[in-house]
Amino acid sequence: MTLFERIFGAKEKSASKAKDRLTIMLAQERADCAVPYLDDLKEDLMKVIQKYTKVGDINIKSEHNQNIDMLEIEIALTK
Amino acid sequence: MGEVITITSGKGGVGKSTLSANLSVALAHLDKKVVAVDFDIGLRNLDMILGLENRIVYDVVDVMEGRCNLSQALINDKRARNLYFIPASQTSDKNVLDTDKVAKLIEDLKKDFDFIILDSPAGIEGGFEHSIFLADRAVVVSTPDVSAVRDADRVIGIIDAKSQKAKDGDEVIKYVVVNRLNQEMVEKGEMLSVEDVLSILALPLVGVVPEDKQIITSTNEGEPIFYNDKSLASEAYKRIARRILGEKVPMLNLDEPKGFFKRLFG
Repeated sequence: MTLFERIFGAKEKSASKAKDRLTIMLAQERADCAVPYLDDLKEDLMKVIQKYTKVGDINIKSEHNQNIDMLEIEIALTK
Repeated sequence: MGEVITITSGKGGVGKSTLSANLSVALAHLDKKVVAVDFDIGLRNLDMILGLENRIVYDVVDVMEGRCNLSQALINDKRARNLYFIPASQTSDKNVLDTDKVAKLIEDLKKDFDFIILDSPAGIEGGFEHSIFLADRAVVVSTPDVSAVRDADRVIGIIDAKSQKAKDGDEVIKYVVVNRLNQEMVEKGEMLSVEDVLSILALPLVGVVPEDKQIITSTNEGEPIFYNDKSLASEAYKRIARRILGEKVPMLNLDEPKGFFKRLFG
């Protein structure tokens, strides 16, 4: 930081904005990547459930917090 | 047995082929027997950067499909006698690569060469997967901008998932090259710094290449920037090659000399 900026205060530089935006975005994307088997799991589940009933769509979400990793599976049936 | 080093990035246009070419030339000049293979099937590029485009007869798919011998497809660089090159094919068929055939080719090359440099295509599709499949090391290239860093992060996250080495319980050695850094902009706070990029990607740094207009002219002429002793980028590539060989080499000093007024007012 130059003397000028130190005295008069500077507006946020674009590089630090870039870093903040990236950090936030990548935290989300890495969480999604933490379960690389999602697509395979979805396919297998589809096969199993189709033995019993008609499946419309399967929606799997992964959630993480400090204590627990969780998969939330939503199965929509077709009428 | 040779080592396979894959040059990859996720995003296109960040300098993969330029790094592949110059790293290959530099390693060859350090007395290593090197083969550079262009894995960007359909979009051949490495040939022009190396200045070898007029000597192509067969390509990598010809070798894999048995239409020629390996030795027929290997082009020997006349300026770097230790360097050989196999061009990409120009077929538009994306599914032309077959895992077993790729493996056979790489195994054959490992018998004859110290280093096999694979120039991966942009993206994370089949071509990328084949180029990373048998990698011992991966060099992830990123420029200091949000798109390149984001894509690099994504690629780093899937390298192990696509690698045979990781399946065998081993780990692919991974490094980052920060390419096309404009130190003046970094100092003004207008470009992500090397430290910023590393703190996000969390991998060891193997080189920083400054932005250098001479890269364009050297590519125009088909002579890798390696041969231009006045270029800072050339020096950066040479240092990367030495680091790849395990030597501890300091990073280039890119700091701009500054006068009193500039230091005061920026």
